[in-house]
Amino acid sequence: MTAISIPDKVIDRLQEILGEDGAVLTDKASRFNRARVPAPFPVHRWDEFVPDVVVLPRTTEHVSRIVKLANECKVPVVPRAGGTGLADGAVPMRGGILVDVKRMDQIKETDLVNNTVTVGPGINLQTLNRSLKPHGVIYPDDPASYACALVGGRIGTSGLSLLGSRYGHTRDLVISFEIVLPTGEVIEVGEGGGRKIRKSSTGFHLKQLFMGHQGTLGIVTEATLELVPRAETEFAAFFRFEDYHTAYRTFAKIAKSGLATLAGAMLFDPEKVAFLRRDDEAYIVQPEWVKAVCAAALMGTRAEVEPASKIVMELGRGLGGKYIGDEIAAGDWAARHDRYANPLHGRDGAGKVIPMSWHCEDAAIPYSEVPEVLRKWHEIARRYIERYDIFDDWGAFAYTNGGHKPWGDLLLEIDMGLWEDRMDEESWQTFVSLKREIAQVAIDHGGSMSACHGATRAGDAELVPTEMGASWEVIKTIKRALDPNNIMNPGKQSLDQAYQDEGAR
Amino acid sequence: MNENPAPAADTTPAAVVEPETPKQLGDIERAFVQKWHENATGCFSSGHKFCREVCPVMQVTRNENHTPTAFHANVIALEKGHLDVEDVADDYVHCTQCGGCEVRCPNTLMVGDFYRARTETVKVVRAMRAMLVDKGLDREKWKVWNRLTDELKNEPVLGIEAGQPNGQAHVRDWAEGLGIPIGGETIMFVDCEAAYYRTSLPRATAQILHKAGVEFGLMNEQWCCGGPAVEMGYVEQSMRFARHNVDDWRRSGVKRIIAIEPHDYVHFTEDYPSYFGDEFDFEVVQIIELVAELIRGGRLELVKPINRVVTYHDPCRLNKRKGIHQAPREILRAIPGLTFSDVDRVTQWSYCSGGGGGLPLEKPELTAEISRRRLEKASELEVDMLVSACVWSERPLSAAGQDAGIEVRDIIELVAESAGIEIGGRTGA
Repeated sequence: MTAISIPDKVIDRLQEILGEDGAVLTDKASRFNRARVPAPFPVHRWDEFVPDVVVLPRTTEHVSRIVKLANECKVPVVPRAGGTGLADGAVPMRGGILVDVKRMDQIKETDLVNNTVTVGPGINLQTLNRSLKPHGVIYPDDPASYACALVGGRIGTSGLSLLGSRYGHTRDLVISFEIVLPTGEVIEVGEGGGRKIRKSSTGFHLKQLFMGHQGTLGIVTEATLELVPRAETEFAAFFRFEDYHTAYRTFAKIAKSGLATLAGAMLFDPEKVAFLRRDDEAYIVQPEWVKAVCAAALMGTRAEVEPASKIVMELGRGLGGKYIGDEIAAGDWAARHDRYANPLHGRDGAGKVIPMSWHCEDAAIPYSEVPEVLRKWHEIARRYIERYDIFDDWGAFAYTNGGHKPWGDLLLEIDMGLWEDRMDEESWQTFVSLKREIAQVAIDHGGSMSACHGATRAGDAELVPTEMGASWEVIKTIKRALDPNNIMNPGKQSLDQAYQDEGAR
Repeated sequence: MNENPAPAADTTPAAVVEPETPKQLGDIERAFVQKWHENATGCFSSGHKFCREVCPVMQVTRNENHTPTAFHANVIALEKGHLDVEDVADDYVHCTQCGGCEVRCPNTLMVGDFYRARTETVKVVRAMRAMLVDKGLDREKWKVWNRLTDELKNEPVLGIEAGQPNGQAHVRDWAEGLGIPIGGETIMFVDCEAAYYRTSLPRATAQILHKAGVEFGLMNEQWCCGGPAVEMGYVEQSMRFARHNVDDWRRSGVKRIIAIEPHDYVHFTEDYPSYFGDEFDFEVVQIIELVAELIRGGRLELVKPINRVVTYHDPCRLNKRKGIHQAPREILRAIPGLTFSDVDRVTQWSYCSGGGGGLPLEKPELTAEISRRRLEKASELEVDMLVSACVWSERPLSAAGQDAGIEVRDIIELVAESAGIEIGGRTGA
């Protein structure tokens, strides 16, 4: 893959389309630096994931013409925004043209009358909010990767916001967007009507079809986003428990409290607490009896949050939870983005410190199934750790999952340490097999294997048809209809099956 | 649901895996990847890129090759034999060595708080540039600049055409009429940009110190500090210049050096000690902290009101590299008449003038755009002056300020004015 395998004439036409020095990159450094994302990576096979050419477009017209050219020449196209995803949505599986949208980072319109902002897909969430601050509004999409995630990637993955219970997730916060289809046509998808309409009953609602498309249905080139008033105040409370079950029940009481200002609730299991105690440099020492943590955060006006905070304190303590203290609660909540990247080490079976990278599964699980799923997940983790010295169990946490509806399913995440530096093909396949087992448990319990990262990695991708069940046929039909030549991010989510079936019919 | 059975789990036992041996690396590259492997792995294996939007160069180019993440990933790619030094040479030019990436790195923020550890990106960039020099792959404009510096003993900040003043005969021209002695226990080190280009700054500094009764002298023979050379990869030259300056200080019995410029302060407190170890026992004082102390202690009175609306530009090397951000704010708040519209130091992690790390020599268009954006931020505050504390930032910022209709001044010049001093000198060529 290191040698460029697409014809020179395609490169020449890309140059012609972009018409700017440094916007069509064929050098090795440009290509190798766009082969991976933060997720564990088979370093030994780096060159398999290298695109043939990288393009840096500035306009929708650029993107449309690039995609038309790719479709005409049947060359794969992989869109990339921040490249900060925790699955492989932005990783090229078959070379081709990598469309890096970071230069499409303009704020095109701030409409304070209708409370919308229209942006390019290459703008970062924090950068956007800094510029909105003087207006007293915020685009409240708040992933752990807030400081580096770009709007295009948020739509591509249908991301989860840590404030989703209060403000909704990306799918709720993006009002409409412009997308270049795999054949190069440009369409606007939303709820219906113009790009600032939040609810309509006309036609089909295509927004959610393209939301979380993982680059397999096109390239987002513009988005119109929700603006909400900046919260006047926020409140965070962390409660410590002697056992998981009490923390789990407390979580439900908070989630079902009906408090509209609840931004999110969170749960740490005993394995997570043990891991933090063992290996997290930023861990603030807690008594040994602490085995689980439940946390909640509120955001809104003072008139709402102040009385609600008293209810949260009552609920948090109701079953025996002990409040952790103002300083840690506020500090830990404020540090929620920076905790995303930690830590950088785990332990082997003998307890020796090992440099490890972080892998997390991000299933969506019904509340009722959480204890059983966790039991099975940790059992799987234990089995692999006993057999292979490249894994460590870093525990699990849960987060409210439904936008505006905190009471039902949870984002359940098991974090695993992985000794990436020692990766070879055999250990990589072992990792994939571990992932697959974890994903299968999620599906078996009526969950989804991915709440927010996307089922685009080996281990997950082959289970997409299983999770989709009978609707998989519809999905394949849609994919084939929109992308007749399978050029859009091919090799992801088992969508190649849409084309393999063609011969059989 | 569940119509399609999942493939059976692969239960093949993992083989014992040995670390991959670097392939086809020359001695220089091998030493480089061995030294930086662990630091690079810390970034590569997490790869979260919090540094990206903070980086002043990346904000302009929006090219992932210019991210600190890529600078670390390239170390791994070199090690694995995927990339050669030639492949990444130009990428490492795209850095002002501001250190914003390092302070924003979660690995620094969360772990560093406890272990004082820091993701080292500036050092990686410097090491790569040094390797380019060693391999004869250094950039043309840097090569010329450092050759001239080597010949002149000062950076050719005014150019060399038309008999511009350069060299030892002119290194103290700025001090004319100020009666500053040579030598003494305390000396003021005047960097090249201030000594030859913005002479108002050393004049203001010297007169403030005189007024406050601080005794100091100048060096017998002051060469360039050697900092810019090491920033561009010319390590040997930097060490040679440092040796000369240290020997000069020794000859005069110097114990204390006042650094009037943030880059010098970094070199004297980080590079010089690394060159000379325990031998380097000089006290290094940063001028901003000293002046704040003089004002606080009542030794310097600020009496003349300066009726301007200003904001402060946190110089990268003070704020991001050395954590000096309180003293300049204290000084600005002490100047009568001044309306100070502040932007907090953390927000300013993503601000820069683009004037550092040799960027203006190789990529002047990027420096100009970084400065333009900095002035754009200042404009939003509706100020009529941007105050900096780094003479190297003031040239590109002033150029951008002319277009934006905002004056750019050095904080020490404002202090001198407010202390009733007639500064003299000039603020440009």
